[in-house]
Amino acid sequence: MNTVIGSTMFPIINWSLVSLEVLISIALVFLVAVDIALPKNAGKDWIGIFSFIALFGLIIFWSTQGALHGVTFSGMFVMDSLAWFFKGFFLITMVFVFAMTQQFFKSLGERRNEFYLLLWLALIGMCLVASSADFLLMFISIEILTISLYVMTAYLKSDKLSIEAGMKYLILGALASGFFLYGISFIYGTTHSTHFDVIQGYVSTHAMAPMTLFALILIFAAVGFKIAAVPFHMWVADVYQGAPTPVTALLSVGSKAAGFIVLIRLFFDVFGAWHAQWNLVLAVLSAITMTYGNLVAMFQTNIKRLLGYSSISHAGYLLMGAAAGSVLGASGINFYLLGYLFTNLAAFLVIIVFSITAKSDEIADYAGLSQRSGLLACTMLLALVSLAGMPPLAGFFGKFTLLMAVIKSGYVWLALIAGVNIVISLYYYLMVVKRIYVDSPRAASPIAVPASMQLLLGLAIIGIVVIGIFQGPFLDAAMTAVKGMYLAHP
Amino acid sequence: MIIPNLSWILLLPMLGLSFVCLVPADKTSLIRRISSGTILLPFILSVWVYAAYDHVAGGFQFVQNVPWVVPLGISYHLGVDGINSLLLLLLGAASFAAVLVSASIKKRVKEYYILLLITIIGTYGAFLSLDIFFFYFFHEVAAVPVFLMIAIWGSERREFAAMKLTLFLVAGAAIALIGLLALYLATGIQTFDLVQIQQYLTNYPLPVNVQNWIFPLIVVGFGITLTLWPFYTWAPVGYAEAPTAISMLHAGVLKKMGAYAIIRFAIQLMPQAAHLWMPIIAGLAIVNIIYCGLVALTQRDLKYILGYSSCSHMGYILLGLACFNTIGLNGVVYLMFAHGIMVALAFALTGFVVDQTKTRHLDELGGLLKCMPFIGTCFMMAVLASAGVPGFANFIAEVLVLLGSWDQYRWLTVLAIFGLVITAIYLLKAVRLGFQGPLNPRFAQLADAQTLSAKFPYVMLLALLIIVGCLPSIILTHIGSSTKTIVKSMQ
Repeated sequence: MNTVIGSTMFPIINWSLVSLEVLISIALVFLVAVDIALPKNAGKDWIGIFSFIALFGLIIFWSTQGALHGVTFSGMFVMDSLAWFFKGFFLITMVFVFAMTQQFFKSLGERRNEFYLLLWLALIGMCLVASSADFLLMFISIEILTISLYVMTAYLKSDKLSIEAGMKYLILGALASGFFLYGISFIYGTTHSTHFDVIQGYVSTHAMAPMTLFALILIFAAVGFKIAAVPFHMWVADVYQGAPTPVTALLSVGSKAAGFIVLIRLFFDVFGAWHAQWNLVLAVLSAITMTYGNLVAMFQTNIKRLLGYSSISHAGYLLMGAAAGSVLGASGINFYLLGYLFTNLAAFLVIIVFSITAKSDEIADYAGLSQRSGLLACTMLLALVSLAGMPPLAGFFGKFTLLMAVIKSGYVWLALIAGVNIVISLYYYLMVVKRIYVDSPRAASPIAVPASMQLLLGLAIIGIVVIGIFQGPFLDAAMTAVKGMYLAHP
Repeated sequence: MIIPNLSWILLLPMLGLSFVCLVPADKTSLIRRISSGTILLPFILSVWVYAAYDHVAGGFQFVQNVPWVVPLGISYHLGVDGINSLLLLLLGAASFAAVLVSASIKKRVKEYYILLLITIIGTYGAFLSLDIFFFYFFHEVAAVPVFLMIAIWGSERREFAAMKLTLFLVAGAAIALIGLLALYLATGIQTFDLVQIQQYLTNYPLPVNVQNWIFPLIVVGFGITLTLWPFYTWAPVGYAEAPTAISMLHAGVLKKMGAYAIIRFAIQLMPQAAHLWMPIIAGLAIVNIIYCGLVALTQRDLKYILGYSSCSHMGYILLGLACFNTIGLNGVVYLMFAHGIMVALAFALTGFVVDQTKTRHLDELGGLLKCMPFIGTCFMMAVLASAGVPGFANFIAEVLVLLGSWDQYRWLTVLAIFGLVITAIYLLKAVRLGFQGPLNPRFAQLADAQTLSAKFPYVMLLALLIIVGCLPSIILTHIGSSTKTIVKSMQ
């Protein structure tokens, strides 16, 4: 081992590998300084404007980093194709979430600035999760992400639901963190390391012992909490409903994707050699998760709760890729998440714009939306139909690849259960579509859509349609991300 | 000679669709004109493709092949043979007629035409694709637009009907998708290209036990689209509540995608499994014919009668598919065309009657021949065609199917012939109650289709039925050139 921590020499750090995280941290510190320096009631939303400029700069910077590969910080930090793919994913997610925040928190004034800073903190956390090559860094970065989410979830101090959501999320999240650490301790006890490369070496030469299986299940419990898989989903509905909508959007896309990076990194790669011995557990959990999410979603009357349960079911579909345990399965997860990013954020954009005018998240109030705002109705239609997995939209090809992956791995029964679930989910998505397009409106007033929101809605629609029709380049990107991981897949 | 470019059949309507999206919603007559033009162009191209297809050479012609998703072996592969060139013609005629009769739609015109165009583009794509992925892709594109069209422009129970139809069809599609994916993986050659899979499987057929579990997934999945008994219940209610254009297109063309997929992906690619499973399907087909026919006898609602009748006639298609001989398969493709045109005509005429009288209940109608002689006459012709009277296309189609099945399934064939009698009874009853007898005084003032343009869609469909019925060779040569090879691969 050439990377002993605590040796007398300073480890040599390759700063170019961590440059993105460094720049994000600089942006955060700069924005804190601006926030302090700005006079109260500055009028203009300076933090928001700077955040957007910084985000676009970071996206351009990120796009130049595609070829960067390597491990640094004494083997703690890795920049490989998977990390690169997901950092781009998070940056794009953040563009949407920042814009949502700007609209949603207009009335908060001063307190909105702190919210932006929390978002930046969450972004650092997510990027570090993507680059973790060591259990300690992985744990710390997940905590950075989750703790900023706790605060953001309970951000509406005067709203009971928001406080309740924050509380629930905190308690269950702390429990999940405990599981994660407990699992890591068993792994450390068995392999004498927290470095992924060392652990993979151990795994490939040893059989799975009951203790390591126990450790894997503990770690999966923590990941299951992040991705909202049954039986670790208890928080989802209340938190999705109670949290401010931009946070819900971040939870459903960014936080879920962070969970899936951990899943791919650990269960596909590091513990990949043991996959065959316990993937039946993943397959069964996948079936239960998707079925539970879809069945409960049918009876929801609040759109955020509905998307909460639907997000549980999507975790179930995504787990199919993990159960398949093949390159195709992992690439399917990446592709699915990419489509899910635009699809789900489109839905949340509509919810935010609608709730600002209508002051409601009840599905009943969406009646006749098509006659109040054609753009909102059309975006919601495309988002819901894409979530249901209908061509020619992004959601279809994701499900297609995942179904192919599980059938290839021999789980035809899982594919059939997924097929039944697609029909169930179509039912409740179409019920919302029916409200929007068929029912007559409760209020006749048209809904104004601000220009910035129009731009983002258009971007989301383009994303949904382009990924759905020109699948090739995106699948290539998703596959490259998996094939170029720094530890070769066993 | 200029060779037709099949991509234009897809691209032109897409272009038209984007024009329609750009026109303001209140300019309804402009929207109608663009939409009709948009549907007329691929119809003309389809006629051209049909005429230019060389049935002596056979095989797939006018092929275009662009790799699309290379890692999975998906390609944008278009081409026609004798079977799908005929189905293009069917779709062209039915969709043009459907757009013309949509003139009666008065509310939310723009949305209506956008959804109608998407449905038609999807169906064209499915018939043109020689790639299994793209067939599935296009075939599913129509699902949500059809849901919306039934739910918005349908009659009383439209929301129930729309949901039931969509969920049944998507369930079928999901089952079929799993079958298709299993087929793709079982070949192990990493391609969705139908032509390559065909060639590969001719030389290296799949093991029989693998075929035996993939085959029923595909046949039942697409069988739901084809209203295979007992999965037909979505159809009568769906067609009854749908707006006229969707009843015409769905009963006439969209459900034929099921039969097309069964021919292409199940029977041709897995012949050994077909010999095991198709006799069972033939038995179900007879239940289709007799049971749905008997249910149609008890109906008093004109559109329900047509809906059950259409389910009953799918039995003949399924029976023909189970024959494994050229004459039966020719009959199947012939019947897909003939039934498609006939049912589109019948639903178009019913739509006209319902628009005028505001009812489809036979007890309230009566004597309509007196006030609308043209529509009434056309309806009687459609009924005669459906009942299998010589001179109409359906007669030849049904005779071919029955001849094909005579050797294999003698008793079933006798029952199927009996089914024709049932058809004649319920359809003639509908004519007697609806169009003959005393005229309900409420309807004395109603107007017939008067202008030439109003009569045109009906005349066009009727003319096709009669021409194809009198000159079978103009389509049999096309069909025969392709069914020959399919039947050869099954022996």
